[in-house]
Amino acid sequence: MRKIVTLIILLTAIFTVSACSTDSGFDITSETEIVVGLEAAYAPFNWATPTENSFTVPIANQSGFYTDGFDVVMAQEIADALGLTLVIRAIEWDGLIPALLAGEIDLIIAGMSPTSERAQTVAFSDPYFQSEQVMVVRNDGDFANATSLNDFEGARIVAQLGTLQDDLIDQIPGVNHLDAVNDYATLVTSLLNNASDGFVAELPVAMGIVAANPSLSYITFADGDGFSVSAEDVTVSVALRQEDTALLSAINEALTAISTETRNGYMEAALSRQPQ
Amino acid sequence: MFIFNVLPPRDAFFETVWYLISNYQTFFLTGIFYTLMLSIIGTGGGFMIAFFFTIVRTRKIDRLRQSTITILLTKLSQGLINVYITIFRGTPMMVQAMIFYYGVSRLQLSFWTPIVAGFVVVILNTTAYISEVLRSGINGVDQGQLEASRSLGFSHGQSMRLVILPQAIRQSLPAIGNEFIINLKDTSVLSVIGVTEIFRATQLATSPNYRTTEGFFIAAILYLMMTLIASLFVNRFEQSSQRKEAMV
Repeated sequence: MRKIVTLIILLTAIFTVSACSTDSGFDITSETEIVVGLEAAYAPFNWATPTENSFTVPIANQSGFYTDGFDVVMAQEIADALGLTLVIRAIEWDGLIPALLAGEIDLIIAGMSPTSERAQTVAFSDPYFQSEQVMVVRNDGDFANATSLNDFEGARIVAQLGTLQDDLIDQIPGVNHLDAVNDYATLVTSLLNNASDGFVAELPVAMGIVAANPSLSYITFADGDGFSVSAEDVTVSVALRQEDTALLSAINEALTAISTETRNGYMEAALSRQPQ
Repeated sequence: MFIFNVLPPRDAFFETVWYLISNYQTFFLTGIFYTLMLSIIGTGGGFMIAFFFTIVRTRKIDRLRQSTITILLTKLSQGLINVYITIFRGTPMMVQAMIFYYGVSRLQLSFWTPIVAGFVVVILNTTAYISEVLRSGINGVDQGQLEASRSLGFSHGQSMRLVILPQAIRQSLPAIGNEFIINLKDTSVLSVIGVTEIFRATQLATSPNYRTTEGFFIAAILYLMMTLIASLFVNRFEQSSQRKEAMV
């Protein structure tokens, strides 16, 4: 009897979960607002702040919290170009793509690289920023004078969970690849407390970190000495649902109107607004 | 009161703590609010559901007097409750939060936010634990009391509600209070779905300045203050109910 009951419950649960389908096309002509998801924990792309300024947007799912950063400025530009009201929701990194698929958000503008793995699940716009992959190290550490990946043999290197940077670590010969952590604040703490020898980051993120932590520096690599990455891996793009093709072309059009100089200017301004 | 507007140097631990408190107090206050609400409503709601579950679970089957349908319904509901308790006590709350939040999100219900999912998960989780607490509390009440109240004409529900459970609950109070204290700390796992309780509020406050140690030092003190105050209340409650028992 008990076994039958267990079976019935399990089957009902499985059916309930599998019967739910997602169907949430974004209609640019009828929608009035566009909901953007980001972490609010990836400075200078996006971070959380309790104080409002002319660049911040309130976090819709958390009253009293605002978000600022390069992504927020870009999101505002895109929303303005589409004639839509910008709404921003803060979502954990791992939850961003599920939230997009579930229709909770319409776009991810969160410094996300358009990797081929992610492109199987979501669609990506043209890149809105291109950056270098660098290594952040302690000034007094053994690897402060490294110039190529080969110099990091035996080093304990770490990155954020589920990111391109975590995959890149394995390109270092003889590296001690540590378990990935959840956010950049933890990466910095781990490095400062000598729990690791370095972490891989995108250049603007590394610049923000080094500005806030004078005992750290970042190492840029000359061509051929650094990580070999494909073009789509070092860029960041807007992610959206694959069925929203009209929205995709509208966003690409909006991005074309913003020159590379303007974008770099936005990034520099975001770096200077980051508390340090 | 001196307020730091500029981030203090890396080695100035307590200045940084004060910087975080003064600049991000709205974050920490929001975190305290949600941690408290989740624990209070989670424990209270869980207790109420567990109360009804316990009445159903202790129902006895009498093949001579009850109809086949009544027996079947009793067995089915008891089986369902037992499966429920096994699943929720046997899986981590973090996993339950991920499954519930993202699973139900697929239905695209507008009210289904992380905080709503958080409340549901804490209530469901606490129900399972308090059900077990109440069951062992009932084992501590003399069997003869149920037989006596049944023979006086009380139904099973009446004798449980009016005679057995009030005594069982009094015996279970310390364990229920503990469940509340556990909830104060364990709601931190809800940060994984983005509920802004103390843990996630701290993550957000430290994300632009990378001062994790100082931020979580504040979080630890907040948790410690809350659990200390809660255990003070639980002890006080326990003593007063023991005194009442002694008077009886």
